[in-house]
Amino acid sequence: MTEISQSAKEAYFTASQGQLIWARFRKQTGAMVAAIILGILILMGLFADFVAPYDPNLAGANQDYTNGAPQIPRFCDDAGCSARPFIYGVKRERSLATNFRWVTTVDTEDRRYVQFLVRGDRYQWFGVTLDRHLFGVDEGKIHLFGTDDLGKDIFSRTFHAIRTSLAVGTLGVVISFVMALTIGGIAGFYGGWIDGVLQMITDAIRTVPAIPLFMALAAFIPDTWTAEMRFFFISIILGLVGWPTLARRVRTHLLVERNQDYVLAAKLSGAGSGHIIRRHLLPSFTSYIIVDLVISFPYMVLSETALSFIGLGLKDPVTSLGVLLQNTTQADVLLNYQWYFIPVLFFVALVMAFVFVGDGLRDAADPYGEHGK
Amino acid sequence: MANFLRFAATRAVFAIITLLIVSFLVFSLMEMVPGDCAERYLAYKNTQGQNLTRDDIDAERIRLGLDQPFLWRWVNWVSGAFVGSFGESCILRVSISQLLGSKFLISAGICFAALVVAYLIAVPVGIYAAATRNPVVNNALRFISYLGLALPNFLLALIIMLIATVYFGDSLSGLFSKEFRDAPWSWDKFVDFASRAWLPIFILGWSATAFALQTVRALMLDEQSKLYVTAARARGLYGRQLLWRYPARHALGPIVNSLGFDLNRIFNELPIVAVILTLTEAGALLLEALARSNDQQLAGAIIFLLTATIVGLNFVTDVALAALDPRMRNSVIGGKRA
Repeated sequence: MTEISQSAKEAYFTASQGQLIWARFRKQTGAMVAAIILGILILMGLFADFVAPYDPNLAGANQDYTNGAPQIPRFCDDAGCSARPFIYGVKRERSLATNFRWVTTVDTEDRRYVQFLVRGDRYQWFGVTLDRHLFGVDEGKIHLFGTDDLGKDIFSRTFHAIRTSLAVGTLGVVISFVMALTIGGIAGFYGGWIDGVLQMITDAIRTVPAIPLFMALAAFIPDTWTAEMRFFFISIILGLVGWPTLARRVRTHLLVERNQDYVLAAKLSGAGSGHIIRRHLLPSFTSYIIVDLVISFPYMVLSETALSFIGLGLKDPVTSLGVLLQNTTQADVLLNYQWYFIPVLFFVALVMAFVFVGDGLRDAADPYGEHGK
Repeated sequence: MANFLRFAATRAVFAIITLLIVSFLVFSLMEMVPGDCAERYLAYKNTQGQNLTRDDIDAERIRLGLDQPFLWRWVNWVSGAFVGSFGESCILRVSISQLLGSKFLISAGICFAALVVAYLIAVPVGIYAAATRNPVVNNALRFISYLGLALPNFLLALIIMLIATVYFGDSLSGLFSKEFRDAPWSWDKFVDFASRAWLPIFILGWSATAFALQTVRALMLDEQSKLYVTAARARGLYGRQLLWRYPARHALGPIVNSLGFDLNRIFNELPIVAVILTLTEAGALLLEALARSNDQQLAGAIIFLLTATIVGLNFVTDVALAALDPRMRNSVIGGKRA
């Protein structure tokens, strides 16, 4: 008995910071579930080309099924069951009988079976051109989440949108992180009037409501820019506006830590500033910074969504949630095509997962959290 | 008292400095737009069939004072902005304060109402949640707080519109019914306004409520484990008496301090919610100015006014706290700044 607790203790005291955080993180069920969901969403975003059956843009659009309802694969119908799920084929026609409007009819006689690892639209993946997709149907096309007004597959668009949002978020977080570290670091390390002036500017920027500021900055983008240029510019704006909160934390932390005894001890032992910053100050708050980054990630994603939604952010052919939601306020969509809203669920899940993981990490990274409980 | 006034004065100076920095930022943004006011206005005139030359542009530039150096124009703009005059809109050629006037007041009214609603809900519920050991309540509140972030106001607005359209056949949008849209303010118009404004107020207050709930609960939990609460309990206090007389008062300070940030959060969502619900107020005007007419003067004025409102609120809460909180009061009168 004592033997075991002894070795457990030894494991505890010799564990690295990362191991301790992981051990504490693992105990939180909510955060673990969120981490798994987040992992799955990120993977699906990364492999969006493969998971999505079709190209998210016009190239993959199904002209014969515009504004089409979601097609849910089924195993059974009146004509019997099948081990392989299937959907019904659709016919689209325009004639005197339909008053010359395009009318889509479902043909329950026409079964289309779901296939896996099918060949489809080509995509580039690390410079290799591939055409395998996770699933598809043997004939025609399958639209799990329905299609939009141009026949673009909403399922495919959703996963590409996740990837775009992750990319924008990552770029924005990295930019704001570098700025926060530099500005907060300078303020915290030098203190005095430099700190005062920097704090005043940081606080002033923090008071301006971020989204109106984003909007004003995004209005600079000339219409002639390509979608990719817009993408980078938006990420940069998000980063440029997002740094103050983190900078403040870095600065406060540095101001406290640089007067601690262990820093004095290191100084007395003859360590230089560089050594102290690298070996003592940075490790003292890396975990906090990682947590902050995870927590600020959903804000970036949401800001981008908001910007794109009102038409100042990303634009087609770049697909993001905001782009997907652009047309949803039309009465036509609200009344007849509610499947336009399916991507919202994924984004709520994505943001929630980030928030839960961030919170879990914050609790896990806090070395004093255990004693309080 | 003299000390208190000095404290208030320093705070006021800080607020003004903040506003100066913000105004510089906003003004630089306005200036960075390619093509100045004269050029854009005359380009517009050109499309109307008037033929204008380089000289006309230069004359217009001098008339607008655009030939002055940047800093001087900023000083002019700021000194106007502090008394509520933002010059003329570049495109529309109307005074901006006239254009904004009541619209900004409506926006501010809706946002403050949202803030009040948020705290009216968050304070009692948060205190209750901190006091109760009921895990269902706590988990539900935790979930709602997370949802407050994950379901931003504009998504909530979209979803409410979706539900309203599908089930009630009315999208609940707009601020006024048709007959009151251009009518002068009257009691009837106000009633009509109130009957429609509750939705934007609720939607704008939504994430602020979720965040405030989290804050209030966390603060109360912190305070409750302190010794003075145990001492009060030992003296036989319990229930509401205990909560309101001791920990709630201590938690008040940080809550009042967080008001400014909550207002910031509400303003953040204002333009987008305004677009979804087709409100006709400053938020929609801001989007209009930025996305369509490219009217930087108007946009700058709105952003400056929004920020000024937040800075003003921060100033008021700071001073009010110094007056109300005995700990702050002492440190202020003792000459040390908190």
